[in-house]
Amino acid sequence: METSMRCRILFVAVAAVAVAQFARADSPSVTAVLSNSEAVVGETVELQIKVTGPGDARPPEEITIDGLEIHATGTSRQFEIHNFMTSSSVTYNYTVLPLRAGRFTIPPQTVRAGGKVLRTPELILNVADSSGSSSGARPSRGRQSQPVSARDLIFAELIVPKKVAYVGEIIPVQIRMGFDPRVRPRLIEPPEITGQGFTAQKLQEAGQNSEALNGRSYDVVTYKTAIAAAHAGKFEIGPVRAKAQVIVPRTRSAPRSRGRSPFDLFDQDDPFSDPFFSNPFAQIGERREVDIKSDPVALEVKPLPPNAPPSFSGAIGNFTMTTDANPKSVQVGDPITVTSAISGRGNFDRVNAPVVEDERGWHKYPPSSKFKQDDEVGLSGTKTFETVLSPNEKKETVPVLAFSYFDPAKEQYVSLRSDPIAITVQGGPAATQNLVASQPASPPSATANRGASAIQPTVKPRDILYQLTDQPRATESFAPIFTRPVFWGIQSIPLLALISFAVWKIRRARIDNREARRIHALQHEAAELMHKLRRNDAPPRQYYAEASRVVRVKTALASSSGGIDPNMVDAETAANTFKLNSDSRDQLRRLFEQSDEWQYSGAHNGPARISPENRREVLELIENLK
Amino acid sequence: MKIRASLIVFLFCALSTLSVLAQADAEFVKANQEYAKGHFKEAISGFEALIRAGQWNANVFYDLGNAYFRTGDFGRAILNYERALALERHHPEATANLQIARDEAHALEMQPSWPERYLQLASVNHYSIAAATAFWLGIFTIVVLIFARRRSATRIAISICCLLVLAVAVCAIFTLERGSKGEALAIVTGRNVQARLATADTANSVLALPPGSEVKILSTRGDWIYAALPNNLRGWIPAKNAERVRLL
Repeated sequence: METSMRCRILFVAVAAVAVAQFARADSPSVTAVLSNSEAVVGETVELQIKVTGPGDARPPEEITIDGLEIHATGTSRQFEIHNFMTSSSVTYNYTVLPLRAGRFTIPPQTVRAGGKVLRTPELILNVADSSGSSSGARPSRGRQSQPVSARDLIFAELIVPKKVAYVGEIIPVQIRMGFDPRVRPRLIEPPEITGQGFTAQKLQEAGQNSEALNGRSYDVVTYKTAIAAAHAGKFEIGPVRAKAQVIVPRTRSAPRSRGRSPFDLFDQDDPFSDPFFSNPFAQIGERREVDIKSDPVALEVKPLPPNAPPSFSGAIGNFTMTTDANPKSVQVGDPITVTSAISGRGNFDRVNAPVVEDERGWHKYPPSSKFKQDDEVGLSGTKTFETVLSPNEKKETVPVLAFSYFDPAKEQYVSLRSDPIAITVQGGPAATQNLVASQPASPPSATANRGASAIQPTVKPRDILYQLTDQPRATESFAPIFTRPVFWGIQSIPLLALISFAVWKIRRARIDNREARRIHALQHEAAELMHKLRRNDAPPRQYYAEASRVVRVKTALASSSGGIDPNMVDAETAANTFKLNSDSRDQLRRLFEQSDEWQYSGAHNGPARISPENRREVLELIENLK
Repeated sequence: MKIRASLIVFLFCALSTLSVLAQADAEFVKANQEYAKGHFKEAISGFEALIRAGQWNANVFYDLGNAYFRTGDFGRAILNYERALALERHHPEATANLQIARDEAHALEMQPSWPERYLQLASVNHYSIAAATAFWLGIFTIVVLIFARRRSATRIAISICCLLVLAVAVCAIFTLERGSKGEALAIVTGRNVQARLATADTANSVLALPPGSEVKILSTRGDWIYAALPNNLRGWIPAKNAERVRLL
């Protein structure tokens, strides 16, 4: 039951929609558009007559207009479903070939559809001759020299806030360049303000934003600069010129396969009605260079009024001045740095150091300056000057500094003067007595110090010291000592000494090494022999030979002179070396005699074995040799 | 025979040297006499002839500076006082006259950097000798350390000290040679010299340089030199308007 109810509701809904659609389709409409409202002679333009509604429309078979050749080229049908609404339409295509230049009117055409007689709107076609002079103001589409509707894709404007200015006055200027975001611009030549009679500062990019103008969205880039007129008169500032690469739909020289969008009903000539922009993948665009140009701006430049103050150096604007001096307590002749900061807005390139109003009694050195700008173009900021002044006499204040500028708002010159800055100057004559020029010069002492000059109230020495008539014999060189060959030659002395020292030390080390090895060998031999003597199994000949050998080796090791050959050691030498008493000395002597006896007289002259007492005695003797 | 020939050659050389020295002495005396008579241009010619002959010493440059001062050419006077001081750091007369000439010409001086101010206690030659001495002492100490059986803390400390002294001396040499009074120091000798932003007489002026002002030559391009200027500025000046203090 519930299911059948749902089916009924659905049926009713579908029926209602169908009736509505039928009712909608029952009211046919017609429109006609030209693919381009401007053309040149010989260039075809497409005319589309679109009938929406029943499909039995009968378009005009022939359209005859003097100066235009119009031929039907085909029919296309569209069926669309949009938001559950269906619509069908038939588009009848014609080509229009202008035969001559002029303004042509395509009158309303009669179309029969759904039993009704419909009329198309009247269409206007401006035709220029082939040389390119259009009869209309807007740029034509499809010309190779002029990109597709570049004026609609890109614009440039020059904004000059003043219409009247003075010679040398800095005028801030803005340049705005807008690009349709879809053209993906690439600036290949930055904007440049053309024109003569003024100087322009370097352009600074100030920002980028999106703006909607005339219903279209643009990415707007703003540049800032400042201009200054070089002479009086009436000028045209600009136009601003730039060059950019943009992506535009590919230009067709032949009639387009697809015409203007049928929905561009009001002939707005929207370049983005091109299918490229609605579907970039359907048709490939091309990157093209376009020239961008703004309209010029008129500017009247007035000369500066006469009777400028003496301290006027060409500064125009609005400025303030602060001054300071350091140090404030000096000796005569010492430098005082006077810092003057000029802040404000104007042509800082013409802002020179303030003028010292009364230089008498002062040495003035050329000033240094630095500028700290507060904006992109240097129109406002602070220029700081450091002027070194040196008092030639006693002074109580730093001289007054004056700076003048022309205020264009007040249209008059303004003079700024620094406040008196109190200082203390010691060691010179009174300010009223300028003795520097009149006093005869006295040769100063070469070693005179500042303290002396402070005590002695004389002016700074003006004359140089005497000639030196002693000519030293030796000539001297400006070259630093480390660049002279003699310096490097002298380095060979410690180098040779170092090499000699190293060679000597290496040689010593080798000798010490040989002696150490000999001692080690002797010690090893002595230990081996002592080991054999303790074994108690050696025949007497061998035993006494080894015992005497141990004594010799020990003597060689103990010898203070070192390097003694063990073979050269006899009983007396050994006894002396070890400082033996008479008993031990006799024992040692007997040991050597027995050794010689066994060595040279043969084994048969004595017992075949040594008694244990003798062995112990010999061992004790040898072990006590220390 | 050979000994006799060698002796003759030696005597000939000695006599030639003495003759040259005597001639130089005579020219020096003559130039001073011209100066005393007030013939400053002749004195300048005499002193410059001596300098061209390689007779470089502080007194000749000082006297030449005085002669230029008398003719009012403060730029060249300052240049020659500077040369005298470059040859002999402690030349009191040159120091005094240099100050007078600078005051007269309102010449600008380069401000030394703070390391330079401290390092100027000694000259580059002093630092060179100190560096060489420290180097060899350090090397000897290290070699002794290598050969010694025992490492001595004293020797290690001496070698480290020597290496530190060497490093400081080398840094000092580098700083002074590259500094405001180093080998690139030049003096403005022309009048009404303007340092400019570019190598053209019409380029914007950076600084007016009175005669005798110090500049430091950074590079040369044709007839122009790019120089560091007083007040931490830089600019181009015509090469003919500045001369290096150090003669090569």
